[in-house]
Amino acid sequence: MLSEHELERYGRQILLFGKKGQEKLKGSEIFIAGAGGLGSPVSIYLAVAGIGTLTIVDNDTVDRSNLNRQILHYDRDIGKEKTASAEEKLSQINPDITVKVINKTIDETNVLQLVGKTDGIVDAMDNYPSRYLLNKAAIKKKIPLFHGAIRGFHGQATTIIPGKTPCLACIFPSATPKEVFHVIGATAGLIAMVQATEVLKYIIKDGNLLTGRLFIWDGLEAHAEEIKVEKDPRCTACGLGKTASSERRRE
Amino acid sequence: MTVKVRFFARFRELLGTDISVEPENGTTLTDLVRGIAKKNREGCDAIFDPEGNFHKFVILMRNGKRVELRDAGSTVVSEGDEIAVFPPVAGG
Repeated sequence: MLSEHELERYGRQILLFGKKGQEKLKGSEIFIAGAGGLGSPVSIYLAVAGIGTLTIVDNDTVDRSNLNRQILHYDRDIGKEKTASAEEKLSQINPDITVKVINKTIDETNVLQLVGKTDGIVDAMDNYPSRYLLNKAAIKKKIPLFHGAIRGFHGQATTIIPGKTPCLACIFPSATPKEVFHVIGATAGLIAMVQATEVLKYIIKDGNLLTGRLFIWDGLEAHAEEIKVEKDPRCTACGLGKTASSERRRE
Repeated sequence: MTVKVRFFARFRELLGTDISVEPENGTTLTDLVRGIAKKNREGCDAIFDPEGNFHKFVILMRNGKRVELRDAGSTVVSEGDEIAVFPPVAGG
């Protein structure tokens, strides 16, 4: 049930998808992996939309060089844990939701436990090894994964529904080498908004999800396009390659 | 024969995009991309390894269909093909 206060707070979007939709948002829980460039705007917009519980995982502290894009963190937060900074801001932005934070690095041993029981996983990571862990967890738990990534003026996003759509490893079987990537905050904001919109659509069950399609943004050209992506039957994460690679591990 | 090559993200920063080329009959996908990429050393290194093979992470598409990297050297391009070459964008 929504309180009078909530009916007022969410009035403009209740006009869009009704009290039922708002109740769905209130009853849902979203896991956000990363409180950086993508994680900041994603969590802010999911918080103001009234997602009942947001769980944010990050193991970093705020650095001055983060501040051009990581809008959850302010100048005064330099040196502070990103999770503490995120918890403080998000609970002020919307005191009606629950914000949980976990100050840990996601790794192979803890990913399933950290993800827990959630309705969706937002990929706000900055590297593929961590993304592949989220992808595996999403497949194993049959939880949607909302992928986003940025570099410079460029970005990409897709929505992965395990069992139905290609998984992240079908689309990107190999990672690029790690680098200090250049980026502007506006690119992070734009891709994060695609991810946040997808999360909301998924929960209220409206529209067409960004499934089987890779959204590609080029800010320099102010041009967006999409590429059709397909399942790889030999995928090592969700396809036949999965058993092959575990066989290999056993050997 | 005219073929269009589209680069994305970092490859686009280094090599531009929507490049129309007129390859000879029998040109493979690998030769086509290498021919364009070699105009810019950094662009070439971004896409190919020192042995001249595509880096493992490169995604190749021909007319919207994925081409496996191992097949690129034997896939011959045809009139009107649109080739897309892109890296996974990784930052967040």
